[in-house]
Amino acid sequence: MRRLAEIPVNRYLDFALFLALGLFPLFGSLFYTQLLEKYLVFLIFAFSLDLVWGYAGLMDLGHAVLFGLGGYTMALSLSAQEGVPEFMARYGVKQVPLWLQWIVPQPAAVLVCILLPALLAGLLGRFLFYSRVGGVFFSVITLALAEIFSLFIQSQQEYTGGFNGIGGLPGLSLFGHSLSLAEGYYFVFLMVLLVYIFCRALMTSRFGLVLRGIRENETRLEFLGYGQARFKTAAFALSGALAGFAGALYVPVNGMIAPNDVGMEFSTAAVVWLAIGGRGNLTGAALGTLLVNVLGNALSEHFGAYWQLLLGAALLAVVLFFPNGIVGSLQLAVRGRTVRKGAARRE
Amino acid sequence: MDSVLALLLNGLNSSALILMAALGMVIICGLMGVINLAHGELIMVGAYTAYCATQLLGLNFAAAMALAFAAAALAGILMEVLVVRRLAGRPAETMLATFGISVLLQQLVNIIFGAQSQYVAIPIKGNFSIGKVVVPYYNIFTVCFVAAVMAGTVLLMKKTKFGRRVRAITQNRDMAECLGIDSARVDTVTFAFGSGLAGLAGALAAPVKSVSPFMGGPYLVNSFMTSVVGGIASFFGTAVGSLMVGESTALLGGVSNDVTANILVFLMIIAVIRFKPEGLFAKERR
Repeated sequence: MRRLAEIPVNRYLDFALFLALGLFPLFGSLFYTQLLEKYLVFLIFAFSLDLVWGYAGLMDLGHAVLFGLGGYTMALSLSAQEGVPEFMARYGVKQVPLWLQWIVPQPAAVLVCILLPALLAGLLGRFLFYSRVGGVFFSVITLALAEIFSLFIQSQQEYTGGFNGIGGLPGLSLFGHSLSLAEGYYFVFLMVLLVYIFCRALMTSRFGLVLRGIRENETRLEFLGYGQARFKTAAFALSGALAGFAGALYVPVNGMIAPNDVGMEFSTAAVVWLAIGGRGNLTGAALGTLLVNVLGNALSEHFGAYWQLLLGAALLAVVLFFPNGIVGSLQLAVRGRTVRKGAARRE
Repeated sequence: MDSVLALLLNGLNSSALILMAALGMVIICGLMGVINLAHGELIMVGAYTAYCATQLLGLNFAAAMALAFAAAALAGILMEVLVVRRLAGRPAETMLATFGISVLLQQLVNIIFGAQSQYVAIPIKGNFSIGKVVVPYYNIFTVCFVAAVMAGTVLLMKKTKFGRRVRAITQNRDMAECLGIDSARVDTVTFAFGSGLAGLAGALAAPVKSVSPFMGGPYLVNSFMTSVVGGIASFFGTAVGSLMVGESTALLGGVSNDVTANILVFLMIIAVIRFKPEGLFAKERR
């Protein structure tokens, strides 16, 4: 019994969440299964943001850029399976450009989806962290990047479909066999589980420990010989790879991608999920993502702008009164109770 | 030749608008150290105040500008007292909270006025031409007005008692408090003044740019980039930064398109940050 009590409260939450997500397609309607499949992809994206923000303490306000790089690569690859895509032909592109031919084979596309964002994040990290730009300036620069990236995507109409994005894409398929809704759902679910286990392992490893050390006291860790720039850059690049992977999954699941999915709007949305759920323990990322998206889907249909208003107010309230988010506050409350119990026993 | 002159003059005009939007940021972010993600929404509040004053109430543009300053300053006071002050010394939380406020302001305006763009008439009509280049009078007014506001702000910060207090708090808050400066009050007034300047920027831009609930984002990003290039706490640096950003966007926009120009300027700014992290004109390292 004692050993059970030693497991932190968020592990129980993780277990309950994954159990619910795993059983959902057996009971839920097709419509909601499809919706939840999309939110599962968001979970991977939220985990990747939690790596940089929750563990390394770097608030990335342009994380959707990395998501979008993966997403657009996959969308281009899927749309070019049978020669020149329709939206390109509309702009007078006669043959598939060479760089697009390279990413037509799916394994190559997945690889690029993961490596390209990792490379961008690594380069940005190389430029920023080595000149000791951290903290809020990192956030400001990534925010600017998000704005510029979505402008860029909109301006390259012949290759990105401009404002309308790239749509009408085929669903998930594995080795030439296209998956049914349930198969697709469980495939994405499996991916989420793998990413969760990967993040968990990474963060309990030495690397994760050093990263958290840097978050708490950068100077001390530098004295101990751990260069902050190297670790932050590595964490950012890893997170970029995961975000790109989420983008690559998002495209076949959602069937389309548009500039809205890659700019400031989606970046800040993910930041809100983590702020509300709590950071640095993955559970908060998962809970916040599901909570905000499920509620948003239920409420925005009828209340529209009022739902956004409520979300803004909720964010403000969380920052002012529960700075650790839902899961962080829950942990504190549980820990406080066990501490009080312990004190009572000693008396 | 004429086209280059036209580009340069256009660039000067957009530089002036960028500088106006960034001035409030220099005060709030540079001097007070508060990263305000609702800066663009304060500009939006100013623009909507100008819209209400001129189009709905029929006031003249000067009154509209005064009202825009007042409305944004009032919003700033509320923000400072209710939110920003409680999060002093926690920059990441401040960013999140001000982002929450920006969403609130956007949606409030969206609910009241709707999402469509609003129209504000240009108050000073007509134009004159140098050779083949046509310059609207309003552009000249914009440049002169921004120069005057900039000069006034610098004088306020360098020459008055209030400015000395603000700078004393920036340098050493505890010491300033020991010398009897009511730092909480100075903070509120400084924040209100910075917000008011943002509102003024909104009113100034309203006749020539689109006015909509979601107009704030680009202003926020532009102001940040300019003030980071120039050195976040330096008025002179921000003026030079906005000239650089405005002119290079206009000139590059002349040879390619606006978006490419934006991307190049962004890369330039990243390079500046890499090699001079403190900004081009800052006195001390941040």
